[in-house]
Amino acid sequence: MNRELLKSFSNWLGDGPRIVGQVRISRAAESWELRHNDDSGELTTYDRWQDARALANLTEDGAFRPIKTIRDLRRGWRLLLASVEDVVRALDYFYPAMLGLWNADSRGELVVTDLRETLARQTGMYRVTQKITDPQAQQLCASHCSLCMKTMLWKIDPAQPITSLAPEKHQRASGDSLPLLCREACNFLIGHARTVVKKAEKEALDAASPQTSS
Amino acid sequence: MLSKPDSALIIVGHGSTLNPDSSAPTFDHAEEIVRRGIFGEVHCAFWKEEPSFRQVLHCVERNDVYVVPNFISEGYFTRTVIPRELGLDGPLTRFGARAVKYCEPVGSHGKMTDLLLHRARSVAPGVPPEQTTLFIVGHGTNLNDNSALAAKREVERIAALGLYADVQSSYMEEAPLISDWATLASQPNVVVVPFFIADGLHSYEDIPVLLGIASESPGAASAGQASIFAGNPYSLRGKTLFYASSIGTEPGFADVILDQVAAFDSTSR
Repeated sequence: MNRELLKSFSNWLGDGPRIVGQVRISRAAESWELRHNDDSGELTTYDRWQDARALANLTEDGAFRPIKTIRDLRRGWRLLLASVEDVVRALDYFYPAMLGLWNADSRGELVVTDLRETLARQTGMYRVTQKITDPQAQQLCASHCSLCMKTMLWKIDPAQPITSLAPEKHQRASGDSLPLLCREACNFLIGHARTVVKKAEKEALDAASPQTSS
Repeated sequence: MLSKPDSALIIVGHGSTLNPDSSAPTFDHAEEIVRRGIFGEVHCAFWKEEPSFRQVLHCVERNDVYVVPNFISEGYFTRTVIPRELGLDGPLTRFGARAVKYCEPVGSHGKMTDLLLHRARSVAPGVPPEQTTLFIVGHGTNLNDNSALAAKREVERIAALGLYADVQSSYMEEAPLISDWATLASQPNVVVVPFFIADGLHSYEDIPVLLGIASESPGAASAGQASIFAGNPYSLRGKTLFYASSIGTEPGFADVILDQVAAFDSTSR
């Protein structure tokens, strides 16, 4: 366990309640209770931090959730945990890396990487993403990053911010909610960038050699 | 016994955007290592899931950090992608006060042979090995991937023990093809162990289709069905076939991860 993170998170949590993503954390007698923030009433109870993995993995409809910060956490459960340490471990399944990045950010140690630098690093099948244009990148962010709860900290390049998303998308959560931070374009976005570039290349090729109809 | 309270362990895996089975063994092994209380911190990181390779070092407190790739073989990911994404420039990389120690992938460890034998025995209990053909199945033809070589190496090691009448490597996409298992096998009993780090599309659907114990693959969305293993043994093409889950789900992988850490320490002394 990252002891600095545990201490910072304990201080932030206090006696609760607090919100991380769609999870509400509050005191329940001698335990900490985690549940979906929109839930109340009859819920199925779990009591191991490891149970968070299965709760976080699938949507209500049984679809896999590769990006845990999409707003599709299933409902109907409560997770009772004995210690803040277990709460941190469970949250690492609900929102992987988010407590770690929040802690690094709080300490002024979070390094942000802009999109062009991320793309310049790509090799193999993703090297082609370096060809994405700035307008295409703006559009890509508008269509995909808008679905994610993370606060976007990176830009296209140091001189060019992402302007295709609502201003709130770039502002850290505060108050009772822990900010979920995006320090660099994720691999899901890089995968979609490849699709955009490939599609544009094919369209350009098709336009350059139109099929003649008889 | 290994004790590293002042060190962090990062287990890195491939992961998947399609199903949770790809990352499941990596998380399982991490939970087991957390339970043993060996390291001050234990983290996982993935190429296709989160925490990502690019996020994980921000989550680590300790300055002494071991990175163990949960991969079957050396290849594009262990040599190019993981070092690039973590910013490593060799087996030992220093970032200020932090030392990141890049260990060998689990699949290249000598214990892999014992784990394959254990898996083969578990899936076919009481079946005499002297009347059995054992197939170790790899993918084959992967980009800059040595998984086929790794499978061949394990077959040589198992064959040298003289336990099984017949031990062969075979592949999904290159010869000898696993789809030809019935003609390749010399023995009446056949045990098939996929040499993959996790169950998923290949072990749940692709290989069963190639073996003839499942119908055409309905696609990635349905991967996650472990019921194929409940049908053992399968009687077809004049043989008795036992089909195992991927070797990476073997709980003994947690020990192999720890062994790779110990191996790093012993070679860097």
